[in-house]
Amino acid sequence: MTKSIIITNNPLVENRLKEKVFLEYYDVGYLKLLEIVRDKVHLGYKILTHPLSGSVKPNETPYKTVIVSKDNNLDTESLMIIENSIVTTKKLLDINNTPPWNEEILKDFQVIDLSLIEGVLYRL
Amino acid sequence: MRLELGYLFIEDVQFGEETKLENKTLYVNKDELVNLIKEDEHFEKVDLELARPGESIRITPVKDVVEPRVKVEGPGGVFPGMISKVDTVGSGKTNVLKGCAVVTAGKIVGFQEGIIDMTGPGADYTPFSKLNNVVLVCEPKEGLKQHEHERALRMAGFKAATYLGEVAKNLTPDEVEIFETEPMLESINKYPELPKVAYVQMLQSQGLLHDTYVYGVDAKESLPTIIYPTEIMDGAIVSGNCVSACDKNTTYHHLNNPVVKDLFAKHGKELNFIGVIITNENVYLADKERSSNWTAKLAEFLGLDGVLVSQEGFGNPDTDLIMNCKKIEQKGIKTVIITDEYAGRDGASQSLADADPLANAVVTGGNANEVITLPPMDKIIGDTSYVDTIAGGFDGSLKEDGSIVVELQAITGATNELGFNKLTAKGY
Repeated sequence: MTKSIIITNNPLVENRLKEKVFLEYYDVGYLKLLEIVRDKVHLGYKILTHPLSGSVKPNETPYKTVIVSKDNNLDTESLMIIENSIVTTKKLLDINNTPPWNEEILKDFQVIDLSLIEGVLYRL
Repeated sequence: MRLELGYLFIEDVQFGEETKLENKTLYVNKDELVNLIKEDEHFEKVDLELARPGESIRITPVKDVVEPRVKVEGPGGVFPGMISKVDTVGSGKTNVLKGCAVVTAGKIVGFQEGIIDMTGPGADYTPFSKLNNVVLVCEPKEGLKQHEHERALRMAGFKAATYLGEVAKNLTPDEVEIFETEPMLESINKYPELPKVAYVQMLQSQGLLHDTYVYGVDAKESLPTIIYPTEIMDGAIVSGNCVSACDKNTTYHHLNNPVVKDLFAKHGKELNFIGVIITNENVYLADKERSSNWTAKLAEFLGLDGVLVSQEGFGNPDTDLIMNCKKIEQKGIKTVIITDEYAGRDGASQSLADADPLANAVVTGGNANEVITLPPMDKIIGDTSYVDTIAGGFDGSLKEDGSIVVELQAITGATNELGFNKLTAKGY
């Protein structure tokens, strides 16, 4: 089994999962996190979970978690998916930036993002 | 499998001493229904409100909309796996309170969306403004976690719809429609000259607030499978999906799925409606590959000539949609996809997060980024404090006069991807 790594900007995901799985936390925005994932794809990582997981829009939630695994070659499908996700994210951020949410709402977004990833952890 | 749907038309809803249906008016004993819902210990407070077509009422945030139905004859009961046991439904007789619905409202998460305006320009964008709505507003007990809250509110909607549906148990319907799907070989023998068509329904299944249940089973835990279309009409598929109001399928949508209904209307005339393949929309990419492989395999196994695929939600499911379309097309089966668009305010941007040349027949439910101004309403059912922060809401969207400027994505059912709405775009 290849090593899977969770790439996240969600502090709740970091707190809950860092002891259980390989995890890289970045204190960045949604778009920047996707760009970090894209860079990893170019370094030979394969994407295991969809970068646009959840129906919460990229200009609504500031949080995103994506799981990748080390592969030896450039995975073109992963590249297509992450590039399309970045295009979609930029499109929505161009319309409106993510609002300055209060703490309570931010916490809810963190819970949703964690839930989307928790559902697949047993596959790793 | 043969199902008779008996429609009892509802033209008004009123509170009354006794819950009953009389002269096309649904009377609801408020205390009885509130007490039934309050049996769930998760709720601190339960209230019931009525919202009729044309009234100056805004309901928000809407979680689910459920049509009251009751099994009159035949095996099982409505909402199997949720309210009734898991006996196979979809045959016999079911009565429907047509023209009314249970709407569940209340905040599960702070950013929750979903507006139903009963009058004004917003009303044109949601099918639920035309219904006599019994609205459940449930407040959770302090400290209730989102998962339990979602489940409690979901079940409250089904319980209320089942309770109201019971009034029609012994009544004679105003109108009856019959839907029948024969076993596949019999159907093919009966209509050898007609193209064999099936419906691939994609079910939202990503996690908290993004789930759909089939006979009580979480769709993400299941492989694609085959279901009789009439099973869907008895509530075999229910919604646990609260996110992306414009293009989520409420339970009402599932019960009244227009793709199913329209395929039945053409069955035996223009095409042979073989049945429904249900599949999921998971987060894990290997699940997407497996499920779309399975969908294509089932389509091939059934010997289909054509398939309609409907999507639910935004972003991630675009990938499932394209995988399903591509793989089914590659089996030599013609495929039409039904989706909606996030094409920017002017509709000029790329609509989906994925694409393929084989997706060459597309039906759209409209552009969710389109902007609309909703004038103030006299009465709000639910909670206004979230209206400014709902999906599609943006800084300054709440005006001084109380009107709100939102994208269509904030309105429940506005760009529904089953086509249960009026919006579309046409290419010539």
